[in-house]
Amino acid sequence: MNRYILRRLLQALPLLLGISVASFAILKAVPGGPLAAYEASPDITDEDIRRLEHAFGLDQPVPIQYLSWLGRFVVGDWGYSFVSHQPVLGLIGERLPNTVYLMGTVFVTVLVLAIPVGVLTAVKQYSWFDHVVTGSTFGFLSTPTFWLGLLLIIFFGLQLRWLPLGGMATPGAAFDLGDRLRHLILPVATISLVQLGSHVRYLRASMLETINQDYMRTARSKGLGERIVVLRHALKNAAIPLVTVVALDIPELFAGALVTEQIFGWPGMGRLFWDAATRLDYPILMGILAVSSTLIVLANLLADVVYGYLDPRIRYA
Amino acid sequence: MRGHRSVRVLAVAAALLVLATACASTQPAGGSPTTGPVKGGTLVFAIWQEPATLAPNYGNQTITGIVNAVAVEGLLRTDTGGNYQPVLAKAVPTEKNGGVKISGDGKRMDVTYELQPDIKWSDGRPFTSADVKFTWEAWMKDPKVVSREGYEQIESIDTPNDLTVLVHYKTIYSPYLTRFGTIMPKHILEKVADISASDYGRKPLGTGPFVITDFKAGDSITVERNPNYRKKGQPYLDKIIFRSVPSREVAVAQLKAGEVQGMWNLIEAQLPDLEKDANIKLSITPAPGVERIEMNTAVNKDGTDPNSVHPVLGDINLRRALIYATPKQQIIDRLLFGKARVGSSPVSQGWAAPKGLTQESYDPKKSNELLDQAGWVKGGDGIRTKNGVRASVTITTTTGDQLRERVEQILADEYKQIGVELKISNMPSSVLLSASWAAGDPRKRGAFDLDMYSSTPAIDPHQTVNLRYHSKQIPYPGNGGNGQNYTRFKNPEADKAIDEAGSALDLEKRAAAYAKALTLLNDAAVCIWLYERSAIEAFRTNVSGYAGQVWDGITWNTEDWYMKGTAPSY
Repeated sequence: MNRYILRRLLQALPLLLGISVASFAILKAVPGGPLAAYEASPDITDEDIRRLEHAFGLDQPVPIQYLSWLGRFVVGDWGYSFVSHQPVLGLIGERLPNTVYLMGTVFVTVLVLAIPVGVLTAVKQYSWFDHVVTGSTFGFLSTPTFWLGLLLIIFFGLQLRWLPLGGMATPGAAFDLGDRLRHLILPVATISLVQLGSHVRYLRASMLETINQDYMRTARSKGLGERIVVLRHALKNAAIPLVTVVALDIPELFAGALVTEQIFGWPGMGRLFWDAATRLDYPILMGILAVSSTLIVLANLLADVVYGYLDPRIRYA
Repeated sequence: MRGHRSVRVLAVAAALLVLATACASTQPAGGSPTTGPVKGGTLVFAIWQEPATLAPNYGNQTITGIVNAVAVEGLLRTDTGGNYQPVLAKAVPTEKNGGVKISGDGKRMDVTYELQPDIKWSDGRPFTSADVKFTWEAWMKDPKVVSREGYEQIESIDTPNDLTVLVHYKTIYSPYLTRFGTIMPKHILEKVADISASDYGRKPLGTGPFVITDFKAGDSITVERNPNYRKKGQPYLDKIIFRSVPSREVAVAQLKAGEVQGMWNLIEAQLPDLEKDANIKLSITPAPGVERIEMNTAVNKDGTDPNSVHPVLGDINLRRALIYATPKQQIIDRLLFGKARVGSSPVSQGWAAPKGLTQESYDPKKSNELLDQAGWVKGGDGIRTKNGVRASVTITTTTGDQLRERVEQILADEYKQIGVELKISNMPSSVLLSASWAAGDPRKRGAFDLDMYSSTPAIDPHQTVNLRYHSKQIPYPGNGGNGQNYTRFKNPEADKAIDEAGSALDLEKRAAAYAKALTLLNDAAVCIWLYERSAIEAFRTNVSGYAGQVWDGITWNTEDWYMKGTAPSY
């Protein structure tokens, strides 16, 4: 097992390097550049633009720019934003807790709701409950978050005035748990409703497959109660595929929700990435992309390892 | 059983909603109205753009200036009439009052600033002439500052005493009053090796009415009253919180809900709705930005030869026909709710705005006459041709801008009626407006027919007029792509007038020279000045003291702002 993990980790290195080359190349292929927005300043001259290009190393050939970024990145110098001149690590550091707070809540909410709802829809297949849940999860799954988020804001924020329109807390107010929670409800609901759709459908399909297995009939004929049959015998096996889905949610804890954070003015990683992308602020974009891709690779590895642990039929050589 | 479960789910949902309602905020009630400024209170001001930095030397976003103006001051500032008034200086230096002296056979100039005594930085340290000199040095030493315009023209600075600054210019630099608009604290920054990486980027220390005390990225910026502010009893407000919101629409919603008391930068389309709200007051001032269409007179080609002639737009009659066929007033009425003014020049406001200068107004009949006379003959598809060249051109503007896209559609329709085909091909602003040869700005490289965008001159328009309309500023491969004369407009008389305006100090003389250059520009029919926009801000009615002005952001005088009624108790 340890050798397997080590091998996978070693394999990940060239993969991550490839991802970083591709990311950099794609960012560089975007026309324009980080200095584009400087034209807004009526004072800026061509000499100013050239001086700034030189100061940021943008006058170097692209491969050199990449190598110098990589060289500094691996020793922990993630560079400075071209726009705010703040260190990238610091910018990520101040946004990360906000994103973990939002996405962590989503993560827990989705899990807590998806398991019982998924099990119930499978057990009560073709029931009234199943039809409503399957129909609505399919609906939410197909709803773009930006639209759902705006709809929730209009309804609960503007029409009913129950919940704040955005942000993480009332500005200037002292810490207040109720206030924090009220700001949390709409963004969490937006992301959760969409994610819940996929998780419930996954679990339902997997449960249905398990319920019809022979050992389920055996368990029932042993005289076990329906509750124990479903929870201990069926769910345990049916949840295995869900592990993969849940493990792949982990990178989102870091990356945040690009669209939802933007709509709700949430000061997290998604918004940092968005703002950096609109300005083509390479150091920030590369920093976030590097961490995200590493987390995705690690989450995949984690899913595979846990999978093998949960299902003894799977052996790693 | 089945039904029972789902009832329970519904019950939980209902309970959550009740909880949410119980937690919902209550609005602060309005108190009894009083007269005159009231002290105290926290004003929350919504900004829909996030300032990446607050350092005046690195910030090029408008929002940077909006926020840091409450803390960072300069030697001079403009008032609502567009006139300079002293802030940290005692007087505005001019030739008349002896503050400006010409030297070196009329080729150089020296400017003397006498500083106000007893001014303190917000940390209590005295403000002196050394800070002014340090500001210039920091600007010149640091490769990351946005623009060195006006500082590069300085030879040296003398500080004979703590309250006198003597600036020696290398040339006659006529826009000298626009410099030293922000002063940096020497006692803090002289020890810092790289100012860009220091705390100054987020909490620049200044002499203004407020101190920036908290910067929560992506969330809010809090500023509190400066105890060492020079005006006694001011500012009136205790605090201003600049709240980052995702969009103008959200800012409007928060303003209507009373979650914020003011907001920055609305667009004309939002006015009809807000004008109906009795709790909201609007501040509308003319803005210097002018939306324009530029016509490329050289061949549409990457790295075009400035002496080549565009097969269609090279004909002045066709260009003029397009101007006649542009329904500016209709665009303003239909798309901007009548809240803009018809454009007539790139310099629309201030002392340099040419008075009485106009541009051909909407008259498609004249367009047709001009084109008929010039030999452009309508073909079977209604589009004109001349010597086998079809009158077909492409317009480019920034993608995703609804207003501009609708203008394009109106124009395509109007131009078709005079027999000119208008195709639309838009680009992201990061490309179209990059102003960088290397980044492939099509305007720089000459690879466009018509472009539509907006540009804002500074209070001293020299940079704008010179950079965009002097023939030396035509970008082409031979000069490394320098300059922003995108229409490739060439007129020796205009060049002469621009040079004159840039080397004189007398404002009347300069204004006359700009008027001459801009009249010649309009005669050449290379630009269509579409409309002049407004700067629009909105406040709750209990806020007073703000005064919108042309050349500075709404926050230029926050020391005079106050709030009546019960302030929200934070």
